[in-house]
Amino acid sequence: MNEYPSRAKTRKYFLAAVLLFVLQLILGIFLSIEFMFRGEYLFSIPFDIYKSLHLNVMVLWLLLGFIGGLYYLLPPEVGRDIKYPRLIDFQFWFLMIAGIGIIISELFFTGRNWWLVEGREYLEAGRAWDILLTLGLLTVVFNVGMTIRERKKEMSSPILVLAMGAVGSILMYVPGEIWFNSLVAAEYFRWWVVHYWVEATFELIAAGAIALILLSITDVRREIIEKYLAIEVALILLTGIIGQGHHYYWIGTPQFWLFLGGLFSALEPVPLFLMVWSAYKDLKENSKPIPNNIALYMIIAASLGNLFGAGVWGFIHTLPQINFFTHGTQITASHAHFATPGTYLFLVLGMAYIAVPELSGMMNFHQFRAKTGLWLLVIGFLNMITALVIAGVVQVYLQRLQGVSFMEVQNILLPFYGWRTIAGLITLAGALLITYDFIILYHKRKLEE
Amino acid sequence: MNNTRLVLIGLLIPAILMIPYSIFSFYTDFANKNPDPALVTVDFNGITFNAIEGKKTFEQYQCMGCHTIVGNGAYFGPDLTNAYERAGKSDAALSGLMLVGLPSKGMPPMKDRGMDPEDAARTAAFLKYANMLDTNGWPNSGSWERNGSIDGIQEKRLYPSEIWQVILGIIFFNVIIFGVILAYERRKQEGRL
Ligand code: HEC
Repeated sequence: MNEYPSRAKTRKYFLAAVLLFVLQLILGIFLSIEFMFRGEYLFSIPFDIYKSLHLNVMVLWLLLGFIGGLYYLLPPEVGRDIKYPRLIDFQFWFLMIAGIGIIISELFFTGRNWWLVEGREYLEAGRAWDILLTLGLLTVVFNVGMTIRERKKEMSSPILVLAMGAVGSILMYVPGEIWFNSLVAAEYFRWWVVHYWVEATFELIAAGAIALILLSITDVRREIIEKYLAIEVALILLTGIIGQGHHYYWIGTPQFWLFLGGLFSALEPVPLFLMVWSAYKDLKENSKPIPNNIALYMIIAASLGNLFGAGVWGFIHTLPQINFFTHGTQITASHAHFATPGTYLFLVLGMAYIAVPELSGMMNFHQFRAKTGLWLLVIGFLNMITALVIAGVVQVYLQRLQGVSFMEVQNILLPFYGWRTIAGLITLAGALLITYDFIILYHKRKLEE
Repeated sequence: MNNTRLVLIGLLIPAILMIPYSIFSFYTDFANKNPDPALVTVDFNGITFNAIEGKKTFEQYQCMGCHTIVGNGAYFGPDLTNAYERAGKSDAALSGLMLVGLPSKGMPPMKDRGMDPEDAARTAAFLKYANMLDTNGWPNSGSWERNGSIDGIQEKRLYPSEIWQVILGIIFFNVIIFGVILAYERRKQEGRL
């Protein structure tokens, strides 16, 4: 481990990611409360501000987790330390300061200045922040690129896929920053950011990281894992890139997207199923004992969450015949709250549970707390998803099929919103437990130093 | 097949196909008959505002943080694609609504965010434009054609005393999940999995 001193710098990435996840949950609970008590703003802050922070904080901690994971996993795979270790610290503080700037802009400058708050879903941070973030993140591309260029040994395919995903995510931030006069074109390219993140580049990060972790903890033959990975990645890209079409049904783009989007996005679950299946097969063939059980749990949770949340829950409303009715209802919310935490939360936690204990020299840590936390998260999210999917079905039936007015339907949905809040509290309990565990793991090292 | 070649095929074929698809979507006869935002205008106090300015104010005041537009956004308020029609195609009614909001239902007065009547008129021009988009028939359903009046339904609040059935349901649901988890952990400890 001492071979690669810069790895120690990634610990703070994971801790910050977990803390920001807790912040995101708290914001989510606030949002769900505002759904139940409409006019009474919590701390006098209207819904949209919590909502945009809920999303932006998530983007921030996902980036932190992925960048930290990449910096952690890269050195042994290229046989050398990161080229510019100081940049790792700089990028961390840069992201933190940008994050604080975005939060302050949202709280105090919404409506005041378009450069500070732009209010487009997922890209709420104003244009100025977008440009600053892109420039800052390009230094990550630079650092990773230089490190890979001066590698000391051939890179394995999982780390290449992971790096491709991380670099792609950063580049995919750009299309959303082009100004279009037409709403249709603006939405068209806004989805390039969001869809190509969650259904292409992040998915590559997930596939690469899962393969890499399986390689390191099992004794399955390298060629097998690499072959599966290649098929998965090819299928993810083949279905995901044109699967974009499922966002182009009703935004003012031509009808041929109904066919293209429906066809390709219906195939999107295939690579996700393959991911679960190959992981299952690898673990079955494995004969090496796995001491870091909790990281394995997280990785399994991530691949199952990916299959059910993104694959199944996505599939149920991706066909245009169905999406015509479900578009813009709580069904979409249910899908989002299954797919995103189901895959990327558990992935980041999995990488964190590999990196942080190892960097703290605490391989034999007590896993009970983390496991309880994991189960609480799972229970919390399952409750949330179920409440939202019932709300969604009721909403589709009443509002879209029977023509009952929006507010009338919202009144009827109140009990499910209550259930959702309770679910949020369960999730928060799990997240706090895991955060506490991380803080302890983080500090063990400090004491020993 | 070689792994790299497999991945490259997966990446390049759809990525290259996206180029003609995108061109077809905007520049050919395939493209929907959407209005030109520069030509959709609203007059206020003798000044003409167009939908391009409106798009910017719509973003700036973060309407998408509560509402959806063409179905994208947040689900706290109703979809705004046809709001112009619902407001009886009256720019003044829409602008007025934005400025004072609907505080009891959760929409703050946009005046509080520094919106002036000019910005409200700009945003109204944008909503007028959104209403003219050809969205392949979305959204559907009767209530969307309520003419004139903004939603007449009073909002309600959720108090715990009103959700006891749901609480029972939640307990039931979670007992089942718990049972499954416990059974799983038990069997695992006994080495039967
Ligand atoms: C904090 C959340 C929030 C924000 C921000 C917000 N709204 Fe609203 N809006 C609501 C709610 C809630 C309603 C009430 C819906 C109802 O009565 O059916 C509403 C109602 C409306 C209506 C009436 C719709 C109808 O058909 O009944 C219009 C039009 C509207 N908003 C436009 C806007 C515009 C334009 C903006 C941006 C300048 C905006 N809103 C920002 C929450 C918000």
